[in-house]
Parts: sequence; C-alpha cells; structure tokens
Amino acid sequence: MSKHVQGKSNWGTSYGELVWREFAKSRLNKICLVFIVFLFVVAIFAPFLANDKPFVIRIDGQLHFPIFRNLQPSDYCVFLAAIIGYVQLLLIRRNHRHIDPSVRGTALWRQICISSSIIFIGIILIFVFAPRRLDATDYKSMVASGRAADAVFAPIPYGYGRTDLKLREQPPSREHWLGTDDTGSDVLCRLIHGSRISLSVGFVAVGISSVIGIFVGAILGYFGGKVDFVGMRIVEMMMAIPVFFLIITIVAFFPRSLLNIMVIIGITSWTGDARFIRAEFFKLRKQDFVQAALSLGLPLRSILFRHMLPNGIAPVLVNATFGIAGAIFIEAALSFLGFGVAPPTPSWGQMLSLGVVTTGRFLWWLSLFPGLAIFFTVMAYNLVGEGLRDSLDPKLRIQ
Amino acid sequence: MTTYIVRRLLLMIPTLFGITVIVFAISRIAPGDPVSLSMGPGGQMDAERAADVRKARMELYGLDKPVHIQYAKWLGRLARLDFGDSIKHHRPVIELIKERLPITLTLNLLAFVIIYTVSLPLGVLVAVWHKRFFDRASSVVLFMLWSLPVMWVGQMLIGYFCGPTFKNWFPPAGLSGNYADQLPFFPWLADRLWHLVLPVLCLTYTGFAYLTKQVRAGMLDNLQADYVRTARAKGLSNWVVIFRHAFRNSIIPVITIMATLLPAMLGGSVIIEKIFSIPGMGLLAFEAVTTRDYNMVMAVATIGGVLNLFGLLLGDIAYAIADPRISFESAV
Repeated sequence: MSKHVQGKSNWGTSYGELVWREFAKSRLNKICLVFIVFLFVVAIFAPFLANDKPFVIRIDGQLHFPIFRNLQPSDYCVFLAAIIGYVQLLLIRRNHRHIDPSVRGTALWRQICISSSIIFIGIILIFVFAPRRLDATDYKSMVASGRAADAVFAPIPYGYGRTDLKLREQPPSREHWLGTDDTGSDVLCRLIHGSRISLSVGFVAVGISSVIGIFVGAILGYFGGKVDFVGMRIVEMMMAIPVFFLIITIVAFFPRSLLNIMVIIGITSWTGDARFIRAEFFKLRKQDFVQAALSLGLPLRSILFRHMLPNGIAPVLVNATFGIAGAIFIEAALSFLGFGVAPPTPSWGQMLSLGVVTTGRFLWWLSLFPGLAIFFTVMAYNLVGEGLRDSLDPKLRIQ
Repeated sequence: MTTYIVRRLLLMIPTLFGITVIVFAISRIAPGDPVSLSMGPGGQMDAERAADVRKARMELYGLDKPVHIQYAKWLGRLARLDFGDSIKHHRPVIELIKERLPITLTLNLLAFVIIYTVSLPLGVLVAVWHKRFFDRASSVVLFMLWSLPVMWVGQMLIGYFCGPTFKNWFPPAGLSGNYADQLPFFPWLADRLWHLVLPVLCLTYTGFAYLTKQVRAGMLDNLQADYVRTARAKGLSNWVVIFRHAFRNSIIPVITIMATLLPAMLGGSVIIEKIFSIPGMGLLAFEAVTTRDYNMVMAVATIGGVLNLFGLLLGDIAYAIADPRISFESAV
C-alpha cells in the first residue's frame, strides 16, 4: 500500500466528495442530517436518558450502579452496533486520506464485511451469555423514605414498562413533560425508547430490500434475454400483489416480533431497486470498461459487483433513503393497527393509537407527540432523499 | 395495438398463476388455522367432543386434505370465479365484496375528483409562478402534507372534531346516522356527506401533494421547451401558450397516474377505513386477516393482484394513446 501513499491532492476529487459538496450546499439538507443523527443518539442512549433506575445510589453506605446492572441484552446489542458503526464511519474518512481511489472500494467492502460479521457474532454471543436481570426495586421510594442517599437519576426518571394506575392518563405537567398513558407510564420515556424500533426497522428493512433488489436487478440486467424475461415476471408478480395487505396478512399470521416485521417489509419492497439496477445494467453492460473486464477473464462476481455496481448504485441510494421513510411509516401503521411489536415494548404507532379512548374522550397528548415524532422522522428522511437525488444528478450540477 | 394488448394479456397468465401460489402459500405456511382460532380456549366441551367438532369443521372447510389438493381445488373454483364461503360470515365471499365495494368506491371517487380538480390548476399555477414566493411556500406545504402519516391525521381529526373533549362537529364512525335510511333523499344525502367529510379529507391530502408535484414538474419541463418559445414568439397570449400548448403535453404522466390509481380505488384504504369504521373493502380485508378468514384473504389478495395488473396495462395503453410518439411495437 505504501507506494500509493502520495499527496492527497494528486488523487483529485472523488465522486463521493462531489456529491457531498453538492448535498452540503443546502442548509435544509444539513439540518435534516443533524436531526437524523440526533435521533440516533437518542435511540442509542435511551436507557441513560429515560430510566427509573438511578445511575448511582448509596444504600447502607455502599455504592450501587443500578442502571448499568440492569442493561438488557438488546441494549448491549445496540451499543455494539453503534460502536462498530461509528468505527466504520471513521474508517471511511481514514480511507479517504490514506488509500488510493482505485483500491478504496475493495478496502471499504472488506471493512464492511468484517464490521457486519463482528456485529452478527457479537449479537449471538450477547444473547447467549448476557445476564437477564429483572430489578423491580423501587429506588425512588427508597430515596424518599431515607433508606438510600446520593442518588443520581436519569434526566427522565421513569421506566417504560412501569405501570402506576394512580398516575394514569395525566396531561402534560412539570413531572411528566408529555403526560402519561393509560397505564401511567411516562409518554416522553416511551417516546425515547420507541425511537429504537422505528430507526432499526427503517435501517434493517431497507438493508434487506436493497440487497435482494441489487442482486436480482444485477442478474436480470446483465444476462438479459430469457433470464430477464422470467425474472421480470417474478418482479411483476411482486409488484401486483397489494403490498400493504400482504404485509398485514403475514404479520397477523406469524408470531409477533420486531425481526419478523423487518424481514417482511424487506422482502416485499425490493422491486423498485431491482428495476432501477436492471435498467442501469442494461446500459452499462455494453460499455467498454465492462467489455474490458470480461476480456480480462474476471469472474462474474467481480464484473457485476466491483465494476458495474459502483456505476449504477446512485438510484438505489436515493431509493433507499425514501425506503427508510416508507419502512418507518409502515411499521407505525402496523403497530397502529395492532400488529406491531408486543407491548410493553413501546413503538410510536401503537402509542398514537391510544389517544382516542372508546368512550370518545381524546387524550390529545397521547396522539400528538408520537405522531409528531413519526412525522418529523419521515420528513427528515424524505428531505434527505430529495437532496441526495438532486446532488447525484449531474444535469443539475452543470447548471 | 391489438397484438400488443393480446400479448400483454397472455403475459398476465403466468404472473397471475404466481400470485395465486404466493397468496395460497402464505395462508397455509402460517401457523394456526381458522378452526382452532374460532374454537379458542375456555370452551365448555369435553376433549373428545371438541376433537369431533374440530374434525367435522376441518372437513367442512376442506382443510383436512393435503395442501396441493386444497390448492388445486381452490384454483379450480377460482377459474369459475367462485371464491368460496367466508368462514367468519358463513356467506359467499363474492356477495360480501359486492356489498362493500360501492362504499369504498363512493369514498374514493369523491377523493379522486377533489384531488384532480384541485391539483391540476394548482400545479399549473405553481409552475407558471416558478421560484416566486407562492411556488416556494406551496412546495414546502405540499412536501409536509406528503410526509404526514395518515393514521396520525385521522386520529387527531377524530379526537379533535368528533368527541366530547374538544369540538363535537362530526360523527366519529360509520357512514350514516341512526335511522338515516328513513330520511328523504336530500337530508339523507346531507347526512351521508356530513359523515364523509373527514375520511375524504384524509384520503385526499397525500394524493393531492403527489399529483400537484407531478403536474408542476411536467409543466416546468414543457414551459422550457422550444415549441413553447416558438408559440410565444408568434405573439400568442400567455394563457393560450400555457393551456393550449404546455398544459396539454404535461398532463400525459397525470393520465398514467389516473390509470394506475384504479386498483387502489377499488381496494380501499385499510388504515382510513379502520380509523373511521367505514365498512368498505379495506375494513373487510382487515377483518378477514384478523379472523383468519382464509377464503376471504385469498379472494381479496387475488382480486387486488388482478386489478393491479390491469391498472399497469391500462396505464401503458393510456400513455400511448395520450402521446403518439410512443409506439406499441417497440414495447414489451
């Protein structure tokens, strides 16, 4: 690698840098990106932001750290994924300075493979070995009764599964900033923990659909002919089935779980990506660099995914951003209809549905705030998608 | 043109077959069955009799046979347009659909007309006033409308306008008030419209945002075209240029959208019909799913699939009729 390390200026501006510069020209785009990062920070640190356990507490002269002892396996998974994801982002910046553009893609691909396998193995290990604790101690009453001291609570000192029927259906107040729901849980706390569901559904579902879409589209577009004819019938079939109905059918028929919802949204929404990639590959396969790669005797895998894919990925990136917004919307709609993740795990759509009580009373704070959360998240992703589409379009750049 | 349509119709056959396979597979792979769901726990029967009843019911619905035979039988009935009986309602599926279809159709036609009457002129205006304040403001508003989650809007409208808590202006559920069928025509119509205001509002705003955007984009493209400059150079008035020349060409994509909207209009919206308790196709589908009414689920999915296929075909044909530059022969 050492012979590639020269001055950065010799490499010129990469395509990614061009797109990023164009994207960052708009202040709105940057605001949306910052908002999405903020959402991710909230989702990752949810147990430290809203928790009924204190960070530190002194009981009988001894210090305890209940929050850290009570982290669930799912929390560990989120932390692991966040750390690896952050390292991956740093690596991409490092690649930019230290790796020659001609091998940068290969390096990135290798890094992503390593990162995702670490996450995958890590999650399995966590679920096998991490302790599952259920600490029902009421630390707040211990502090109140003077049995414990020096307690430091999270900014929102309520747990999302805690029910307190004395406090049910209270409008926003100084204690509960966004009010409480029908079981007496704090709405803000549930909102913070619910962001995990929405964000992870968006990411994983779109990841699945992009992988399927790229794979199918690449094969159809490259081979064309009979393969394409048969493949397009399958794509057409998937397009013709009413998707939302298919999703609620599958979700209703199979056991409720977050993973099921992600997978189902993923495997029903890949047709758009497949068609985009197919169209791009049709154009690309006649071009000289593909013919050159062919005549060099490179394996098909290399031609498809190393040479052709980077040139045809742009529409899929844009589609993926809109897809995340769509997946978040579908998850919210599913939980609104009662097909979402099983309670007490909070999700925005399910919280939203609690606002209108059967007697006709309207607990506005239960509908307003989760709805705003869905709205802003979906809109941020849509705006980023629009910005990305505009900055990827070379026609607009010349103007 | 006929060759093209025949060819497309023939191509639909394998696609349709695939759809039936997927639909049937999903309903059979899933754990559980309608009989055990309807017999539920907590009954008074002793185990032996329960097993007998179970067996009888399984035979009644044909669920005791192997899967491929069930599929073949279902396909055979499907070919004769017989969708079987609803397991929940104990009535033919087709009869239930016939009852629900007009309701969804009224709702969606109303929404459809409103969307087109508002967004066509609005899109043209916005394009003509490109980059002026009104254009920028309306793009922001339309973008927000497009991102508004419909269940939230519905829930907020019901909570705010239909309850004792705030305003009690509109009915919260259903399509008509008590004894509405005994009213004379005009009061009945008023009552019906009064019930339709909020659901139609929910149905329109997204499509409205989408369509205005399409019309605006089409108009902008055409207003920059050479033929528009020629028309202007001939000294034609501004409105003639806009409506006689640019507008005609920019509604081509809008026509295509209209054709592909057809299946959605017949299928109805599960979310909106559920929120407002409107007994249309969407709610029928929803109930079918929650009660595992297999025959109903398969019928709804298959009909939806067929309609979507025809919508796509109709869209392509409409596109070619509206734009003579597109030829059928090069297509497929």
